[in-house]
Amino acid sequence: MSAGSIVARRNTLARALLYAVLAVFAILYLMPLYVMLVTSFKPLEEIHQGNMLALPEEWTFAPWREAWGSACIGLECSGVHGYFFNSIRIVVPAVLISGLLGAFNGYVLTKWRFRGHKVVFGLILFSCFIPFQIVLLPMARVLGILHIANSTTGLVLVHIVYGIGFTTLFFRNFYESFPDELVRAAKLDGAGFFTIFFRILLPASIPIIVVTIIWQFTNVWNDFLFGVSFTSGDSAPITVALNNLVNSSTGVKAYNVNMAAAMVAAVPTLIVYILAGKYFLRGLMSGSVKG
Amino acid sequence: MSTPPSSRGIGERLQHWLPRLVLSPSFVLVLFFVYGFILWSTWISFSNSGMLPDYTWAGTRQWSRLWSSWTWGIALHNIWVFGLLYIVSCTVLGLLLAILLDQRIRAEGTLRTIYLYPMALSFIVTGTAWQWFLNPGLGLERTMHSLGWESFSFNWLIDANMAIYTVVIAAVWQATGFIMAMFLAGLRGIDGEMIKAAQIDGAPTWKIYGRIIIPQLRPVFLSAIVVLAHLAIKSFDLIVAMTGGGPGNATAVPATFMYSYAFSRNEMGIASASAVFMLAVIAALIIPYLYSELREPRS
Amino acid sequence: MSFLHIHNVHKRFGETHVLKGIDIAIEKGDFLVLVGPSGCGKSTLLNMIAGLDAISEGELLLNGERINDLHPSRRDIAMVFQSYALYPSMTVAGNIGFGLEMRKVPKAKRREAIQRAAELLQIENLLNRKPAQLSGGQRQRVAMGRALVREPQLFLFDEPLSNLDAKLRVDMRTEIKQLHQRLGTTIVYVTHDQIEAMTLATRIAVMRGGELQQLGTPQAVYDDPNNLFVAGFMGSPSMNLITARIERHDDALVARIESPAGDVTLPIVRDRAALETWCDRDVILGLRPEAITDPASANRQDGEIFEATLEVALVEPTGADLYVVTRLGGRNINARMRPGASLSPGQSTRFAFDVSRMVGFDPESEARIRDDAAAAMGTAAQTETLGQNA
Repeated sequence: MSAGSIVARRNTLARALLYAVLAVFAILYLMPLYVMLVTSFKPLEEIHQGNMLALPEEWTFAPWREAWGSACIGLECSGVHGYFFNSIRIVVPAVLISGLLGAFNGYVLTKWRFRGHKVVFGLILFSCFIPFQIVLLPMARVLGILHIANSTTGLVLVHIVYGIGFTTLFFRNFYESFPDELVRAAKLDGAGFFTIFFRILLPASIPIIVVTIIWQFTNVWNDFLFGVSFTSGDSAPITVALNNLVNSSTGVKAYNVNMAAAMVAAVPTLIVYILAGKYFLRGLMSGSVKG
Repeated sequence: MSTPPSSRGIGERLQHWLPRLVLSPSFVLVLFFVYGFILWSTWISFSNSGMLPDYTWAGTRQWSRLWSSWTWGIALHNIWVFGLLYIVSCTVLGLLLAILLDQRIRAEGTLRTIYLYPMALSFIVTGTAWQWFLNPGLGLERTMHSLGWESFSFNWLIDANMAIYTVVIAAVWQATGFIMAMFLAGLRGIDGEMIKAAQIDGAPTWKIYGRIIIPQLRPVFLSAIVVLAHLAIKSFDLIVAMTGGGPGNATAVPATFMYSYAFSRNEMGIASASAVFMLAVIAALIIPYLYSELREPRS
Repeated sequence: MSFLHIHNVHKRFGETHVLKGIDIAIEKGDFLVLVGPSGCGKSTLLNMIAGLDAISEGELLLNGERINDLHPSRRDIAMVFQSYALYPSMTVAGNIGFGLEMRKVPKAKRREAIQRAAELLQIENLLNRKPAQLSGGQRQRVAMGRALVREPQLFLFDEPLSNLDAKLRVDMRTEIKQLHQRLGTTIVYVTHDQIEAMTLATRIAVMRGGELQQLGTPQAVYDDPNNLFVAGFMGSPSMNLITARIERHDDALVARIESPAGDVTLPIVRDRAALETWCDRDVILGLRPEAITDPASANRQDGEIFEATLEVALVEPTGADLYVVTRLGGRNINARMRPGASLSPGQSTRFAFDVSRMVGFDPESEARIRDDAAAAMGTAAQTETLGQNA
């Protein structure tokens, strides 16, 4: 039951006003995306002349082609595609490994509790919330020592380490509401630690696996701080490349190319959001409250 | 619910220790990469470190350098202005949208999707989009002119006094949908019978919201404010993408300050001190919150 | 040698002493019901038998073997859980067969065993469904199937019927009882529902606060309660507990009870020697509602009937019976009369008391006052424990 019924059957004027306000907000929210999109399909001359909100008079895919394959980032003029694949190379292992670790941690912290499990969870959880500035300098040194500075491997490690907190939180909260009796029943049936996990819990964890993957994917894909701090040149992720492209001070600003590049960076997370918005929201919510 | 330790051989003893064994890699990683690094950074902030770490104790030298830094003063002032406006705007707008959406709206699902999608974007994308949107030469200003509003002027992005507000606008645009979703979930959790009772008692709608519904959303307010404050203090990407901290140092915040001292100016000591300060503020905010959130519910 | 012997078992969780020395022994084929209010330690005791909770002190013997430190899966025990604990991602067949699979029973044999168990419980048509597609009663059957299929030495049931609605609960209760009679298995069953305990058990263990209050057959626990708690807990409506003064009138020992219509004196015939020592002191008398009737329904063959005139305070018809409430010893007293009796509040009528069923309790210690304490209950050790803790 929602509070909604209150205004629901009031006069139609109020309803119309309500819808109007909501529509205005919807337009405001869609505006930047719309502007980005139309700009990315306009030739540069049209941008310089005209109105930002107008549809392109002459549709062109050239900005997208340029952004993908030939725009200059630093001294390299081959577009963002290399960085796009860098991001994929970082995201896939980082999401899978941190997700798996989080699933194990959540399982242990709820179903195989030991003395001090709360402290352990508290310490892991707090790591979600630290400002990452506190780890930038030592991490840069450690990556150097491990010879994975300025590499996608280094960023994978970084994202695993600082992703564990959230993945553990998700799985812990999920398994917390998972009946203990199931584990007890399985123990009596003769199943051990890993059998219980892989045969009983994991097959029932699809929703939280989806939430975790989406959350980690979005976070890692959208990361900029770690990318800009620990990589440069060829090994940078897409966000860093985009920023370098947009905010480089040399040459004429090709706004249409910038917008196309921004769209390239935005598309993967937008697709995920459109396909699985429900799970995306669940991740956000349980990342902020107990869930 | 752990099984009792057994004198029955290695197999069962292993089963007994297995859970802890499985947890330990993560725990070791966190201990080292989080807590170890915190200690390291804290130590560095009390050392003579400049371009390279120097572990000799320097007392509060770096800290006093930090506090006498002009840029740090701007950064603190900015984060205060930015944080306050960001938190208040997101909370007010988010609550408003949630209440409006909770009136049995026909296209609620679609609208929710529209309000929330910016949260899926990278701050860099958001920054790029808004930088373009608010571009003094070609963006909003030019559009208004071409629509016939010749006197319209909007050049906050390059105005040192106003640039921080453009960041606020973009940041609010990005996070309001999420705060709305939190409030909407809170509204949906309120007992409908209580509202019916209030309606039968003859309370007008605005009074039902003001006296009954909104006071019950207190935990949501708390969560929203903590989440937003936490996001604000960590904000780095958006500022880099939109203003690069400029014009000049006008939009510097602690996060950009730390980054530039760490990687451009090679002042590890000051950079660490600023990072420790950020951690302290967030810890003061988050630890009580986590404590109250995760405490055993009183039965 | 008894089949399952729980010997002086203790459980401590840190400072809290959850079980304070439990002694229970049952034979093969027994249906033991552990009953008591929530928090009495009955579920903890069950979990300890299963091996899911560690034993702090004492011994657990199954078939003569000490099983304290044996892993749950090696105890040859199966358990039915309150929430059924069906594995959500497996089919019914998968659920039933999981225990056998873990014991590496070959597939063909497994299928046979699953089929047998399913037939026994009439769930053959459900074998390919997932637990989420089943009704509460069906889940209950699957949970039992999972236990049955392994043919264990001992079955444990943890409040298995508490999640079912009232009608289904009665049906399943009957089925469990039939299953027990047919298979002759040994069962330990936990419930907080005393009717379940009465109907199912061959032996009842009444527990409270981590202590065993009484162990005996359902009838013994019902007719011959060890203390005020057991008297009040078992039976519905519960036993009438009336404050009375023991007096000697000439040769006879009587209990005098206050009532608005003048004192009622009832002769003492049971536990006479013990109650004699309570002369001129107050005791609490216990009388089941069915031991207070109208004179026409009184059982004059087996009982000793004594009549008194009392005022009717309230009449509660249940269809099968008519419960009549009257005031005695400052309390409302329930009497069970024949349904036809036309009685109305304020009316005075004759009540027939079967004093042969009347028992007395010490108002201080709440213990039963009886002639031969040890002999009545069978287990001397347990009476001893109670004495120490009182």
